[in-house]
Amino acid sequence: MDSSMATPSIAADHRPAHLQLINVWKRFGPPERQTVAVRNVDLAIQPGEFVTLIGPSGCGKSTLFNMIAGLIAPDDDGSILLSNKVQQDYGLLGKVAFMPQRDLLFPWRTVIDNATLPLEIEGVSRKAARARAEALFPEFGLEGFETHYPHQLSGGMRQRVALMRTFLFERDLVLLDEPFGALDALTRSMMQRWLLDVWAKHRRTVLFITHDIDEAIFLGDKVVVMTARPGTIKCAERINLPRPRAASVTTTGEFIDIKRRLLAVVEEESLKTFGGATLA
Amino acid sequence: MVAGGVTWRDRLAVVIGLATLFIVWQAATMLFAVPDYILPRPLDIAWAIVERREQIWRALLFTLAETGAGFAIGALIGIGLAVCLVLIPPCEAVVMPLAVAINAVPSVAFVPLALIWFGLGMGSKIAMAVLAIAFIVLLNALSGLKKPEQGHIDLMRSFGAGRFGILWRLRLPAAMPSIVTGLRVGLGRSTIAVIVAEMLGAYDGIGQIVYQSTAQVDYLSVWAAVLTAMLGSLALYGCLVAIDRKLIWWR
Ligand SMILES: Nc1ncnc2c1ncn2[C@@H]1O[C@H](COP(=O)(O)OP(=O)(O)O)[C@@H](O)[C@H]1O
Ligand SMILES: [Mg+2]
Repeated sequence: MDSSMATPSIAADHRPAHLQLINVWKRFGPPERQTVAVRNVDLAIQPGEFVTLIGPSGCGKSTLFNMIAGLIAPDDDGSILLSNKVQQDYGLLGKVAFMPQRDLLFPWRTVIDNATLPLEIEGVSRKAARARAEALFPEFGLEGFETHYPHQLSGGMRQRVALMRTFLFERDLVLLDEPFGALDALTRSMMQRWLLDVWAKHRRTVLFITHDIDEAIFLGDKVVVMTARPGTIKCAERINLPRPRAASVTTTGEFIDIKRRLLAVVEEESLKTFGGATLA
Repeated sequence: MVAGGVTWRDRLAVVIGLATLFIVWQAATMLFAVPDYILPRPLDIAWAIVERREQIWRALLFTLAETGAGFAIGALIGIGLAVCLVLIPPCEAVVMPLAVAINAVPSVAFVPLALIWFGLGMGSKIAMAVLAIAFIVLLNALSGLKKPEQGHIDLMRSFGAGRFGILWRLRLPAAMPSIVTGLRVGLGRSTIAVIVAEMLGAYDGIGQIVYQSTAQVDYLSVWAAVLTAMLGSLALYGCLVAIDRKLIWWR
């Protein structure tokens, strides 16, 4: 693979975008002591695409997700379009399947009742909701744990319950905020392959935050790199590694080439976060 | 794993505790020949209860009915008010200082007023029980309802849940442990309030037996009433523990 730094060349894709961000900004605090969390973000994601978003910690990734989920309103500078329709403030609530950074399971609900929470909110009957969830248990590796409580599960299983809850909220756009961030390396790599299987079967559009470059490349059709705070899109790179991807793909020359290029960009931004210009 | 009510071990512990108390008490009063008017022997008290069983049983039911009614009404008021305050936050600034102020005064201080307003019958005792429990439940329920952090609330919002959905599926379950704590403390307080109110003026009830027997220098009857009240409270508390485990099943 030649080392053409793919930046806006991605604009080659002319299908209508599933999600489009145009000049999105988010500032916090009063004008005199303002934190700019997200600045001038332009991003387009095609239907069924798996996009990974990577950037130094504190660069505004979660803030961006909160805006796409409709939880906070973006500043008036720009707009968010879902299926080509401009979204009002908070208009995206209930339209996007959003999995926050922590699993946020409810301790008083069993595994299955945690998973069916979004269906209950939508007004699906308890019985129908459970039937739909039960069908997913084998696929999510949770068979036999339906009536367990969250505190009885390992971190990996809790995360899978949270993912199942997100998937049962059947929306075409799925936002996953560092879903595997707290897992050990072994569990994480198993979960990554498993997630790709699930995604291949359900074909939702996925936007996935991570701070792990390997994870970003392994999972994504496209890796989007954010700058240090105030975060904006630094560059994007299409990943043409063939699918389905096995764990061994991470040791191929192609993978390492991509990684080397992305690493250079990400390191540059991470150093800025540390204020470490002297190190560079 | 789910705890299903009061276990046999809990019951055994209570029985052993009570038995030990009575045996030591009986032995000590016999050994040191303590005069009856200072501390009667448990067997004599037990006999006194048996002798006066009809009167004491009627009084106990009377007192329990007052406490139970006041407890239920007060708990509903406390929880209901807390829910309203969470749904309409501006009200909190008005109601809370008032609630805290009323809660700071020992509720028995209101007994004379209750007797004037509601008479010597059950009404005044129920009012006292309501007063004793409503505010503590309100305070606990409110802090419990506000416990869920923004992350959980945002999760519910992202699924399209509104104010009531968040209340029903997130705030109320999260508040259960606090509410139960409030109920537990409130139960003790309302029992005290009812018995004190009965002592100051009533037609029947354990407190009234204590009052009349004291006036007649019938210490055995006083003790019989006190012991009965103690056992009655224990039974009430047992019910509450069982309810507690039903309401907080996930621990
Ligand atoms: N509600 C808020 N009020 C003020 N500042 C915030 C708020 N939310 C996030 N920020 C700030 O915005 C920046 C980006 O945060 P975040 O989006 O959580 O970063 P990331 O997820 O990339 O680690 C941080 O500096 C954070 O302190
Ligand atoms: Mg984050």
